[in-house]
Amino acid sequence: MRKTVRQAARATVQLALAVGLTAFCFAFVTVLLITAIGTVALVGAWLLPETALLIRRIAGAKRSMAAAWTGRPVPEAYQPVTGPLRDRLRTAVRDPGTFADLRWLAANYVYGCLGILALPLWPAGLVVDGLWCGLLRRRAVLLPLISRLADLDATWSARLLAPSPKALLAARVEQLTQTRAGAIAAHSAELRRIERDLHDGAQARLVALSMRIGLAKLAYDRDPQAGRRLLDEAQEHAEEALAELRHVVRGIHPPILTDRGLAGAVRALAASSGLDVTVRADDLDAGPRAPAAVEAAAYFVVAEALTNAAKHSGSRRAEVEVSRTRAGLRVTVRDAGKGGAEASGSDAAGTGLAGMRRRVAALDGTFDLASPAGGPTVIETELPCVW
Amino acid sequence: MRVVVAEDNALLREGLVLLLTSAGHEVVAVAGAEPEILPALLTHRPDIAVLDVRMPPGFRDEGLRAALAARAQIPGLPVLVLSQYVEESYAAELLGGGASGIGYLLKDRVGRVEEFLDALSRVAAGGTALDPEVVTELLRRRHATPLDSLTPRELEVLKLMAQGHDNATISATLVITERAVSKHIGNVFLKLRLPPADIGHRRVLAVLAYLNHA
Repeated sequence: MRKTVRQAARATVQLALAVGLTAFCFAFVTVLLITAIGTVALVGAWLLPETALLIRRIAGAKRSMAAAWTGRPVPEAYQPVTGPLRDRLRTAVRDPGTFADLRWLAANYVYGCLGILALPLWPAGLVVDGLWCGLLRRRAVLLPLISRLADLDATWSARLLAPSPKALLAARVEQLTQTRAGAIAAHSAELRRIERDLHDGAQARLVALSMRIGLAKLAYDRDPQAGRRLLDEAQEHAEEALAELRHVVRGIHPPILTDRGLAGAVRALAASSGLDVTVRADDLDAGPRAPAAVEAAAYFVVAEALTNAAKHSGSRRAEVEVSRTRAGLRVTVRDAGKGGAEASGSDAAGTGLAGMRRRVAALDGTFDLASPAGGPTVIETELPCVW
Repeated sequence: MRVVVAEDNALLREGLVLLLTSAGHEVVAVAGAEPEILPALLTHRPDIAVLDVRMPPGFRDEGLRAALAARAQIPGLPVLVLSQYVEESYAAELLGGGASGIGYLLKDRVGRVEEFLDALSRVAAGGTALDPEVVTELLRRRHATPLDSLTPRELEVLKLMAQGHDNATISATLVITERAVSKHIGNVFLKLRLPPADIGHRRVLAVLAYLNHA
């Protein structure tokens, strides 16, 4: 009996919230009407997207309520309302999510007050079930109905608020558009960086080298001593140009990745990190290789993370795990250090972390950093790719 | 000396052959791809093999693997490995079977003809030639170790030792007397608590082992 009452009480709270929200919606319809009239009169066009956003928040509240009751999350899929007024208006009107929200809002008018039925059910239930269940040891009849009411409310809401396949698709397209734009931007920035590096570095040195050789040819007969000095300088420029080129090549695609694959390259990184690193990458030794960009990003993350661990963590131990997942590549780097990677805010660590985030984001990957004070620091990255 | 050269890039191959022959060495065979390397070495048994790391058909680390395979079949065969970039782990693999007769240099160093020929004869004689960049890389990542207690001069001496140079070369490079070099080396070994090692590749190994496991 006690359990039944407790369950009914929980359901009542849930229903009370639902009724509360419905009451709010009743009030909200006034705002909605004003917006509609305002929009029609072309005066309050800016109100429309704001109202759509407000409806989203109300629907969002209902989603979390339904999710809390059923224990199953209710997905949502909206297109972001951003940009100038025209774009915002267009998105607000065309987004299938707006339509779904309005449909729920309308339906909620009908079933939203279901919860009020709980009020008469309580005294009746306490009396009837008190006798029936408490004294006669039969199954409670009326009080569980309150739970059923809450079930009904949550199920209907979840069904009405779950995005349609069309809305899900629209949201996915939107997300892909954004990440693709990000990837192209990152790629362009990378191309510009390489161009600048080559222009300011190796190219300039080769020009200087060519000039020195030209001067040395002029001096060849006249002043062999000066000619020799110029050739020495030319050689220095050639060596510096080579060093610059090596640096640029490493930045584009570390040669060891080509030679040894990701697993071998990560083991080499671990061996040369100066730390005691355990590497688990057996997963990658056999089977197809990830795309070059994904391998390069994973390598970059491990290299940066190990450099940071060696410099800032204060520990001599670290673990690196690289493994295949169904949807891509997972890289985890864990040190045994003192943590606080972001809080410490030291410049070197900060730019390293920002660089890692950018590089991973450009490939539509996820980058998680956990570094509580007291440690340890754990970096977990997932890079999507097709195997 | 009789030399076998393995290099796939025609320009560099011809340059190397020209350089070696003009220095009075005999190039007994050239290999342009990985499958040709081992037969050439087994047939000619050269005094030294000069190998490029990245070779056809895979353009990965064929030259390095060929060097290790060749030393397994011809024990003590001196090999000088050249590469566009140096990788610490490759150095470790090469030195894994002992530092005697091992060289690992950036291709850039070939331009310094005298130094390159010096490294070549050092390796052929059973010595070691390790690229300064590998040594710098080894030193770069050490923090708060006994290395910090070395004076700048002692650190210079340590770097040159790790590259495989003998006392005479070190004294000539740093423009100090050989006596001073011996004194610095004594201090280095004392400060790093290394067992006294005689000259040559055993000393290189001791220093490298220290740098690797400090």
